[in-house]
Amino acid sequence: MKKPALTLAAVLALPALTTGCFSGGAGGADGADGSGDQRLRLAMLQPPRSGLSPLSDDAFKLSRWSTAETLVELDDAGDPRPGLATSWEQTAPREWRLELREDVVFHDGTPMDADAVAGALQAAVDASPVPRILDGFSLDVATDGDDAVVLTTGEVDPLLPARLSSPQLAVLAPAAYDGDGPVDPVGTGTGPFELVASDGTAGATLDRFDDYWGEPAAAAGIDVSYVPDGTARGAALRTGEADVVEAVPVSQQAGIDPDLLHEVAMPRTNTLYLNTDRGPFADPAVRAAAREALDPARIVADVYEGSADEATGLLGPALPWAAPLREGGSWAATVGGRVEPATPAEVDGAPITLGTFTDRAELPEVAVLLEQQLEDAGFEVTQDVREYQFIESDAIDGAFDAFLLSRATVLDSGDPVAYLASDFGCEGSFNLSQLCDPAVDAAVEEAARTPAGDERRAAIIAAEAELLATDAAIPLLHERVSQGEAAGVRGALRDPRERELVDSGTRVER
Amino acid sequence: MTGSSGGARRVPVAALSRVVAVLAVVGGVALLPWLSGRDAAYTVLRARYADREATPEALAAVRVELGLDAGPLAVAGDWLGGLLVGDLGESWISGRPVAGGLLAALGVSLTLTLAALAVAAVLLAASVAPVLRAGLRGRPQAGTGALGAALVALPEFVLATLLLLVGAVWLGWFPPYGWAGAANLPLPALALGLPAGGLLGRLLGTAVAAAAAEPWVRTWLLAGHGRVATGLAVLRRAVPSVAGQAALVVVGVTGGAVAVEEVFAIPGLGRLTLGAAAAQDLPVLQAGLLALLGLAVLLGGAVAALRWLLLGGAREPELPPPPPEPRSRRRDLAVVLGAGGLLAVTVVAGLVRDPTGSSHPRLAPPSWALPLGADASGRDLLARVGHGAVTTLGTALAVLAVCTVVGLLLGCLPRACAGPVEVANALPPVVVGLLVVALSGPSVLAAAVAVGLVSWSPLAAHTAALVEEARRAPHVEVLPLLGVGRARLLWAHVLPAVAGPVVRHAALRLPGVALALASLGFLGLGAAPPTPEWGLLLAEGSAYVERAPWTVLAPASALVLAAVVAVAGASLRRGPRRTVPGRPARGVAGVGAPAAG
Repeated sequence: MKKPALTLAAVLALPALTTGCFSGGAGGADGADGSGDQRLRLAMLQPPRSGLSPLSDDAFKLSRWSTAETLVELDDAGDPRPGLATSWEQTAPREWRLELREDVVFHDGTPMDADAVAGALQAAVDASPVPRILDGFSLDVATDGDDAVVLTTGEVDPLLPARLSSPQLAVLAPAAYDGDGPVDPVGTGTGPFELVASDGTAGATLDRFDDYWGEPAAAAGIDVSYVPDGTARGAALRTGEADVVEAVPVSQQAGIDPDLLHEVAMPRTNTLYLNTDRGPFADPAVRAAAREALDPARIVADVYEGSADEATGLLGPALPWAAPLREGGSWAATVGGRVEPATPAEVDGAPITLGTFTDRAELPEVAVLLEQQLEDAGFEVTQDVREYQFIESDAIDGAFDAFLLSRATVLDSGDPVAYLASDFGCEGSFNLSQLCDPAVDAAVEEAARTPAGDERRAAIIAAEAELLATDAAIPLLHERVSQGEAAGVRGALRDPRERELVDSGTRVER
Repeated sequence: MTGSSGGARRVPVAALSRVVAVLAVVGGVALLPWLSGRDAAYTVLRARYADREATPEALAAVRVELGLDAGPLAVAGDWLGGLLVGDLGESWISGRPVAGGLLAALGVSLTLTLAALAVAAVLLAASVAPVLRAGLRGRPQAGTGALGAALVALPEFVLATLLLLVGAVWLGWFPPYGWAGAANLPLPALALGLPAGGLLGRLLGTAVAAAAAEPWVRTWLLAGHGRVATGLAVLRRAVPSVAGQAALVVVGVTGGAVAVEEVFAIPGLGRLTLGAAAAQDLPVLQAGLLALLGLAVLLGGAVAALRWLLLGGAREPELPPPPPEPRSRRRDLAVVLGAGGLLAVTVVAGLVRDPTGSSHPRLAPPSWALPLGADASGRDLLARVGHGAVTTLGTALAVLAVCTVVGLLLGCLPRACAGPVEVANALPPVVVGLLVVALSGPSVLAAAVAVGLVSWSPLAAHTAALVEEARRAPHVEVLPLLGVGRARLLWAHVLPAVAGPVVRHAALRLPGVALALASLGFLGLGAAPPTPEWGLLLAEGSAYVERAPWTVLAPASALVLAAVVAVAGASLRRGPRRTVPGRPARGVAGVGAPAAG
């Protein structure tokens, strides 16, 4: 074994042996297209789970890279604005007509017409299982000439334009849907960047698309790496290995120049769901005692080191319209109708189980502090922490007295009503609190009926107040995510909905 | 089936046992979708759409799409049929053929493994050379016992995080992650190669020191054979005795790669399989497990071939076993008392404190009131390390106790268990952990079962060798003629002679087993928070290693202390060993398993 010559030979032979075994995902050289523009290097959190199929959560990657586009987009307030469709109108209660943008060319050179759009939407409708945005929702797709499509919904849906903004309903070239295999986004999008290569869980390469219908991209291309380890992502920013870094964890931020980190408020709320059906929390006074016992400020300071916002309601600063609507007085009046909390003597060592999961690293740390705070108020806490997939069904069945969840409040449509209905409605499919309260149900139904706009937002906040008055769920804090941007990066997008990151205006100077 | 039956029947039994063992593994993998007993449709749906409600209609759609409605035997049959023609099926999550991605990942893993072995070879040469030189000068010195044990007690995932900080952030010599070119290779190769090389160096160093102390060496030197020729002869004398252990270490590299690939974002086999296990993408998991197993078998085979070459084709080493290593028992005693005392004081002091309350400032540095500091949740690390000793070392001891009994029992049926022993030897604990967790979900028990499933085999192999040796002792060989039955012979005459050495061997494996449990905890395949478990403590602390080194230092030192105590303690209790001329002593007490595997 110890033969230096052999060892040396082995070491020397290694490079020869390994040539071709690397991914070579680094993509083209800077300015390879002769423009002299720099390529953008992107370090993302999660590798694709479904081979970058838009009919999965990987759709958000395609939209963050500006390679796949949707008919409708959302503005900062969450209202629809034109995308690949230039205008739309509700021609009948259940029927919508969308005018398509002209001069749009797919990356494979074929023009985008009504047939291509209808085919893309039909593929989503026919997908098994259907994408989250179409869950329990029926949609008929028809063309109207070459430049318009007509969509017919099963029920009256005031939210249809917002639904069409979901990245899962992106329009790809017909070639992407060929055959029985998965949808292939390579070379089939419409955006300012063309996906030219996808290298499994290692990375992806995108080049500027010169025939883009809008403003051409400022960067020559994007080189994407997937880096699940937080320390490695932090190192990417410190070493200049990447220009834009997703989700730099709190633990790594101390070593990084604060100017490179940009906090983005997330539409996520860490919420403690209390079981209103059985156990100590069936008593509203005991729920109120738990609410009084919790100290979100300490959790924000300790676990998140300040990178989170203490929650007032269920909807946080990622929905900037929520806070002003709470100031009207009626919100405070409704919430003020809560019952008086039980005293520690009345709680008297009530045994409770506290469930949460490990998939989001902070939650077990939050649970540690919750246990401490609840025990100080007289509860006797037992924790049950598992991986999410092993705990969800128990949580939905109401097996825990309290369940800590980081919950997305708006998903694909940018509207929180679906969340309120599934989490707090009598018939809700994700009703962890086992709540069935007529006032809450009525308020949520009212919000669901109201057309998109200011009235709907007011109705949503009214429903939130009704729910908070029951103490069935105690919002703790709203998360922020830290996006890392190297010094020369300009125009990277900081999107709370995690749909945008790089667009045609993003560039880097090194 | 045992002993006295004729040689003609031996070959079929051993061969049959090998066939059955391999079939059992492949069959178990084929039946994964059914064995897991959980609804795969649910996890597949979850992997595609994170926050989607799992409605019955959606689940039914997934089930039909995956063909799960056909029943377990049909699914397994389809898979096996495809396997025979090289078709590994399509991923449940992405819908793409498994084979393509698997080949790419296999290439990456192979490259990384070879680079790690090159690092290990350099370290091995560097650590054995001084021992050899001293031995040839007539002053044989033992390898660096306690120090070596301390070095290799660090798990790969801690080493990986440290190397990333030093090599990529502080020095800026290497990219922190990725797999774009040769510059990406050194850091992960070092993380994998250093522990493996350290372990191999310790094994070979000990054997070389022992071989160099044998009388023939002086004779050769006096006869003018030359130092180079004599040195090579000493090496040739020493290598076969540790080849079995070395194979375990090399196989362990495959398992360690899972954690290292995760840290450095390397698109290798380990990351592919871990991701598939998390998402219950069973076709990918099945293929990944088979590939990992194949890689391990390949490496194990390479070591066996090396051993065969060195022995010139002899089936078993016919050389006399090396005499006990020369070492100072007084020094061992001091090490055991020192390290053991420190560990005991830490554990006892920790056990009386509160491991779950978060009453201290976040990441509080060590102080008089808080001797080991606080973790990110403001919990007392001394208390967590102390209580963690019960979880980690307690579980490790329980696993070893069961493994020792199983090893002693199965070791008495050497040929019948040949297949299972070889298969278990070829499987790193992490790979088995992936399998067990896919079946039962992560828990301390699952981790213990996974480690136990592979840890019995070295003990069984050792038992088999010792039983064979004991049977051939003249006073035992004569017993059947005196009318002593086979059962009584085994029970009263063979087992007592065998049990002592095997139990000492098991003690040596304690740090390896503890490390394997900790690695599973780090990958999320073991204990769940807030359980104080050493692997979990390391995983929780590794993100903070730069800001608050004590979060990693405390559990890592505890692991190192436990390793030192076990290694030094086992050699302490070893009496002057009688060597039986002309009898092979196979697989004698190696050091901690290829643990971190």
